[in-house]
Amino acid sequence: MKIRNEKDFWSGVMFIACGLFFALFAMKYDFGTAQRMGPAYFPTVLGAILVVIGVVVAAGGLTRDSADGKVERFFLTEMSWVLGSVVVYGLLLKPAGALIAIAALVAISSMGSHEFRWKEVILLAIAMAAVTWAVFIWGLGVSIPVWPALMER
Amino acid sequence: MELLSNLALGFGTALSITNLFYALMGCLIGTLIGVLPGIGPVATLAMLLPTTYSLDPTSALIMLAGIYYGAQYGGSTTSILVNIPGESSSVVTCIDGYQMARRGRAGAALGIAAIGSFVAGCFSTVLVAAFAPPLTELAFKFGPAEYFSLMVLGLIGAVVLASGSLIKAIGMIILGLLLGIVGTDVNSGVARFSFDVPELTDGLGFVGVAMGVFGFAEIIANLEKKEHREVFTSKIGSLLPNRKEFFYSLPAIARGTLLGSILGILPGGGALLASFASYTFEKKVSEKGADIPFGQGNIRGVASPESANNAGAQTSFIPMLTLGIPPNAVMALMIGAMTIHNIQPGPQVMTSNPSLFWGLIASMWIGNLMLVILNLPLVGLWVQLLKLPYRLLYPAILVFCAIGVYAVNNTTFDVMLTAVFGGIGYLFHKLKCEPAPLILGFILGPMMEENLRRAMLLSRGDPTTFVTRPLSLGLLLAAAALLVLVMLPAIKSKREVAFQESD
Repeated sequence: MKIRNEKDFWSGVMFIACGLFFALFAMKYDFGTAQRMGPAYFPTVLGAILVVIGVVVAAGGLTRDSADGKVERFFLTEMSWVLGSVVVYGLLLKPAGALIAIAALVAISSMGSHEFRWKEVILLAIAMAAVTWAVFIWGLGVSIPVWPALMER
Repeated sequence: MELLSNLALGFGTALSITNLFYALMGCLIGTLIGVLPGIGPVATLAMLLPTTYSLDPTSALIMLAGIYYGAQYGGSTTSILVNIPGESSSVVTCIDGYQMARRGRAGAALGIAAIGSFVAGCFSTVLVAAFAPPLTELAFKFGPAEYFSLMVLGLIGAVVLASGSLIKAIGMIILGLLLGIVGTDVNSGVARFSFDVPELTDGLGFVGVAMGVFGFAEIIANLEKKEHREVFTSKIGSLLPNRKEFFYSLPAIARGTLLGSILGILPGGGALLASFASYTFEKKVSEKGADIPFGQGNIRGVASPESANNAGAQTSFIPMLTLGIPPNAVMALMIGAMTIHNIQPGPQVMTSNPSLFWGLIASMWIGNLMLVILNLPLVGLWVQLLKLPYRLLYPAILVFCAIGVYAVNNTTFDVMLTAVFGGIGYLFHKLKCEPAPLILGFILGPMMEENLRRAMLLSRGDPTTFVTRPLSLGLLLAAAALLVLVMLPAIKSKREVAFQESD
């Protein structure tokens, strides 16, 4: 069988997977009755509806042609740099403090651009750390660890 | 004159030095972020939401409203000068606005957008003030069954306006509802779908989810494109439209304002529907007498949708403020903000928190005034910002997001969650699944479940309660009618055309 509209087909698969996930995991909880609904009632019903919708969408993807139905390439490198930089920031924030974490976030995320320049990135990292301190920490009083945990003691 | 005394209270609140300051800051920062290509009001609000945490609730909401108008106005600026719409609501502005810029009338386009928005803002502020109290009265008659039906109507309304496939949008809503109920169930105390992760027992962080699927996903998608932006920076010209342009635009502004105000109140409505509808309407009305055809730089094609989207943006506060139900993703964020400040959105806000309620309404007008007197002179600055290459902009955007999302709960768990939802949002982008219905469902999930449970408890498990109570039946019928309407072949094809015109 040929997939005519990849976008729709895979959206349908995604809906089916998510619907099954919620409906099946809800089995752990009490279903209750229509009058006294347990914690499983709402997610089970919604999960089932989502599966049905997923089937309809996926079936549409198998039968209906579409001009832009093809799923375009995922830019995994760019995605990894951007999301990875956020994860690194999250890991660094508590032990190393906001300033270092922000500089790392800027440096790593910049790698995702197709025109990466070292000098510029270093300047931007320092500038953003300074802005963070001035605007968020000093200006708005956001409570966030500023300096490395070792220095705080 | 109760209206006047209410407005007086509102202006008394909004005109305090602190609140004026926050309204000003909101407009400025909102424009600053909103002007960045590809970042619309929803992403801007999600990003800047945490900066308002340390403020008192009234100032916070006033600042957020300012951010919203600023972001929308910033988006129009980008549409006109760079032809990149920040969000779907400024898509139509691109069509004629960018063409005007190419004809050397960028200044006039920016000017008329500001003037139109201001006129619309004045009108719709009065409308909100006049309509909010009677609607609040009505809202007090609502029981859980009515609330449930109203949410169904709201969600269906949102689906109808999603630009892509109807059924996919419904799927996204349901996925959103499901994600929304992750966390401790208030009735039984069971931690649902938390997998023994303590942070998940409080539910998925709303800011993280919104920032991930809107902000991060957008950044990754933008990195795919190699830059080739044509920015009209040198020849903006006078910001004031000439006499002919001005008088030619006036009726378009009036029509846009009126249409936008009405469409904004509808569930699922707001800025997006308003701008699309008014552009189509304007094209029909004035195509004949136009010396410049629509699509080639007709000033009415800028004046009307810009007035309409601002009017719609404001009147969409009505369902949010009176019923506590968000008609669109932006209002969903506002509700999120209210809950963070421990204000339960709903009809009781007006009576329990009158200064907040009327202060917010008054600040709408003040915010609009600020946009005109501030942004017009500052246009040069925004243009400079547009000249910055994207490789410098996006790390800065990430920094704002990263600080904001941590500040919500002071936990790095939310930071990681945002990264995860960034990946999911990118997948949605690739599959052409729209994230806006998901966010709406996410906010409404717990509310809907709660009202469904209460309604069923009161009716002793009899589901006919939703159709035997007249108000509830009316709302459900409206939802059904809406759904049938868009599925009619004639309207379906029109709808597709309307959205394709923008692509």
